[in-house]
Amino acid sequence: MKARLNARSVVALVSVAALAASVAVALPANAATRTTAIVVESNTFTSLNPGTPDTNIVINGDVAYLTGMGLYHYNDKLQIVPNTVLGTIKVTKNTAKDFRVTYTIKPGRVWSDGTPINAIDFLLTHVIASSAYAKKAGLPDPTGEEVPTFNSGAYTGVYDKHVAGIPTISDDRLSMTISYDSQIPDYILNGANSPFPVHALELLAAGKKSLGSAAENAAAKEKFLTDVTSYNTASLKKMGAIYNDSYNVTTVDASTNPLLLVCNGVYKVDSIDANQIKMVTNSKYNSGPDAGPITTMVIKQGIADGSPSAQALANKDIDVYQGQPTADTVAQLKANKSASIIFDAALEYEHIELRVASQDGKKYDGPFAASGGQKAKDLRRAFLLAYPREEIVNKIMKPINPNAVVLGSNWTLPGTPAYSAVAAANGSSFYSDGTQAQRTAEALKLVRQYYPTAGVKGATPIKINLLWGSPGNARREAEAALVIAAEKLVGFAVTAPATKGWGGKLTSSDYDAHFFIFNQTATPQDAQACGTFQDGGGANYTGYVSAKVEDACKQLQAKTLPQSTINRLQIVAERQIVSDAFFLGIFQNPQVTAYNSDLKGIKPGKVSPTLFWNFWDWSF
Amino acid sequence: MIAYLGRRITALLIILFGSSFILYNLAAISGDPTEALRGSTDPKAQAQLLALTRTLNLNVPPPARYFLWLKRIFSGFNFGNTRDGHPVSVDLSAAIPTTIRLILLATIIAIVLGVAFGIVSALRQYSRFDYGMTFVAFLMYSLPIFWVAVLLKQYLAISFNNFLAEVTIQPGWILALSVVSGVFWASLISGDRKRVWKIFGIAGGISALILTVLSITKWFANPGLGPIVLFGLSVGVAYGITFLSTGLGNKAALKSAQVMVVIALVLYYPNQYIFNHAGGVQTILVQLLVTLGIGYAVSRYFAKIDRRPVARTAMITGAVIGLLILVDKLMQTWKPYLATDAVNGRPVPTISESNSLLPAGNFWFTFLDTLLHLFLPTIALSLISFAGYIRYSRGTLLEVMNQDYIRTARAKGLTERTVIMRHAFRNTLIPLTTIIVVDFAAIIGGAIITERVFGWRGMGTLFNKAISDFDLNLLMGVFFVTATLAVLANLAADLIYSALDPRIRVVGS
Repeated sequence: MKARLNARSVVALVSVAALAASVAVALPANAATRTTAIVVESNTFTSLNPGTPDTNIVINGDVAYLTGMGLYHYNDKLQIVPNTVLGTIKVTKNTAKDFRVTYTIKPGRVWSDGTPINAIDFLLTHVIASSAYAKKAGLPDPTGEEVPTFNSGAYTGVYDKHVAGIPTISDDRLSMTISYDSQIPDYILNGANSPFPVHALELLAAGKKSLGSAAENAAAKEKFLTDVTSYNTASLKKMGAIYNDSYNVTTVDASTNPLLLVCNGVYKVDSIDANQIKMVTNSKYNSGPDAGPITTMVIKQGIADGSPSAQALANKDIDVYQGQPTADTVAQLKANKSASIIFDAALEYEHIELRVASQDGKKYDGPFAASGGQKAKDLRRAFLLAYPREEIVNKIMKPINPNAVVLGSNWTLPGTPAYSAVAAANGSSFYSDGTQAQRTAEALKLVRQYYPTAGVKGATPIKINLLWGSPGNARREAEAALVIAAEKLVGFAVTAPATKGWGGKLTSSDYDAHFFIFNQTATPQDAQACGTFQDGGGANYTGYVSAKVEDACKQLQAKTLPQSTINRLQIVAERQIVSDAFFLGIFQNPQVTAYNSDLKGIKPGKVSPTLFWNFWDWSF
Repeated sequence: MIAYLGRRITALLIILFGSSFILYNLAAISGDPTEALRGSTDPKAQAQLLALTRTLNLNVPPPARYFLWLKRIFSGFNFGNTRDGHPVSVDLSAAIPTTIRLILLATIIAIVLGVAFGIVSALRQYSRFDYGMTFVAFLMYSLPIFWVAVLLKQYLAISFNNFLAEVTIQPGWILALSVVSGVFWASLISGDRKRVWKIFGIAGGISALILTVLSITKWFANPGLGPIVLFGLSVGVAYGITFLSTGLGNKAALKSAQVMVVIALVLYYPNQYIFNHAGGVQTILVQLLVTLGIGYAVSRYFAKIDRRPVARTAMITGAVIGLLILVDKLMQTWKPYLATDAVNGRPVPTISESNSLLPAGNFWFTFLDTLLHLFLPTIALSLISFAGYIRYSRGTLLEVMNQDYIRTARAKGLTERTVIMRHAFRNTLIPLTTIIVVDFAAIIGGAIITERVFGWRGMGTLFNKAISDFDLNLLMGVFFVTATLAVLANLAADLIYSALDPRIRVVGS
């Protein structure tokens, strides 16, 4: 039995081996070039309109970018690239009290339903961003308690503050002029970008279930102009309801109202189900750069960031992954021979900030309070000097992004045009020169001026309450542990428990310091930094006020300045901030992009839509 | 009975109210929905903060906010909107079928295999097989599913898809799989040492032979059973089912089963025609009904007295052979399915419920696609839950086998098969029913980790999303459905138990 069995196995093995050898030759080459790209995203699609506060999420914005073409977009170097195929943006009047921007649309551009695109399609920008308009049209005040009729996230911005009256549309309907009551820096970012198919909006409001005829569409477009300029409250309310709710679809199939899908982008939405958004070429597209060879773009949605995405990439279920993986997932991605990885950083940065004044009406007299004079300042400098920024970057960031660096500026981020100039001149080298041991020794000297026994065992420590985030945030928990150990050496006893509902406590006087993430959504002239450092700024959680910073912000927000002036103002403001020692950037959040090596043309950008900004250049 | 039901339902309502109140408040104080906006340097963030406070009633303290939610429930089951801005009820009605699709199959497989292995394990108490199964059960029970999923994806998806590009089984794999097969059969059949080695050799050898043939013929590139293999398998099925159902001594049953094999084989080609021209879920159901009808008719012909067991045997045999023919059809679909652009030679996916790039309108592609997307999550889920069923059924059967009525049955001179299948097995199922009913209710709760790892959007995903987004409406919607079903299932389990076991009675007072 045994012998027979062995003989049989040997025969089997030999035959298999022989066969394996013969088959190893001549595998058919993968002849056809693929034209479908599949991208994975961790959140799930909720709306065709990413403009409302509820739907303003990455995946909705990506689909809108792929299916819509605007007048400009960001490239991977954070430059604004105008799309002159669709139209132009020009300043047509530039005085202190009268600033006008004219948007001129090239004739012949069409929506996916064949309707010509004209300036009326840009008019919705005003309706969804001007609270003065809403009030005048008899709609609820968008800054009040009630839900706005057009529930967009665009109110209260620069546009809302400075726009004067309704933009005017030229008689040939090809240009729109927005008037402002003052000069506007970043008038491109603050004005109109993407057109909105207002004829479809009108038809939807009228209860239509199918695409209109050419005449109907043209009439609807004119009706929109009339509705807006004549403040037609009833019509606006109907359209507002459509804008807020009707675009919120999570499935698209043959039964979906085609009016919701009218777009002017390279792709149009073909179908959406629980797992994927499938977009196919829009045959009428002529609003921007030539469409690339990818004819079908698929976004697989709701796939957890990390291992599932890495394995899906290895299995070629997907072609592109972008996210903030853990170190394990980075290792997994690196092990994938058929994929390429790009490590870079998003426009999001972790920072440490110290409270200098009360913001909640209570008295704040903690160790860092500005009222403490030179002593408090020295303590702040000591705290920041001893802050283990290098260790945090090396231990926590480098395993995810090998290119991670300690930030050299609080105002600009690496990757933005002004960064290196600002970082070199802002005095931040005080906190990065030498080794951490030297900095800690320096810090100890500062503290010992006031507490001679600081850092010695048994000495009474200076108590610091540090706020950083919710329980379960493992990364920040690890950071907090490093901070506690490092600050202990110079006499600070840091208490840093995870805190539920920490976001609401950022203005509380109970905490002397916070570290958390700031994210920047665009690159205006003030680099969105004024909100952090200006008196009463939306992201000022330290109570910091400085005349120099106020002055710099005032200038940066007043009108368009040459880059050299911007740099100078930023350096002036930042030198002050660094010298006041209450704020220090730590690291930028990593952004890891891994993709099928056969897919060419991927160049991740830094602001939304990071990955997709040049999708028309992708090819297999 | 009615008083009993009334009491139970009142208790149910109180439980639902209390638990939803506690959950709502715990969830509300657990986090801050505005957290993400605090870190935004966008000047418009303040307006968005205001909008969020307005939408979510954040200025109302949680206990009072709960009653706002409750008020909406009483005014017509209005679950409100999610934070994404669409109705919770829409999300729920999309998620429930997905979850059922994902977990139902896995649970059924787990129950069937778990009970089968558990019973064999009990019958071979303290044998190698029993120890082996006990070991496997505890091993599976203790495995974290996310880890199992990672392994399954690596070997059964990524490596298997790579293998399909070559379709040749490496000698090392043939050897390893044959050894595993040998060990399995040897421990299952068991006996003295010589016998074990003999079985190990035969089983391992046959496995090696089959794998080699599969490799040489590149079977995996274009699989199929074909009428001949199908015939062999069908004969095996006929004898196996007859043995379990009535015993081979029942000539009428055996003959009916054999005739079913012949009929199935004769109808093989007509069935292929139906598959190709009218394939669809309804057609398959009709085919199943016709098969059962034929089985009944055949049994009427062969059995003159005591027809029920014969009819049962013929019908089950027909259904199983029908299943084999269906599997054969799916195997024939394999090659063209792999050749589509959407699949591109890599059929086993690691994520998603379906592939939207497949050409529309081909029932067999869609069917195979659904099965392949179910493949890994189903294995992961059943591996883990079947361990429990092995232990339950083993324990129960052992207890039953020690009962007096089993001794009585043996004393009557009944065959061992009758004692086990008719007296012991049926009584084993009674306590199992309770567990199964409650398990089915738990199904609706979804499998949070499995759904996440495999990218399915069922109830588990909704629950997870609700918690991580602090989306209370969604959370309470999911909770409402799962909690209600859980409480109802407990009630149903009690009622079924009393119906199955006449010793148990529900009383009103």
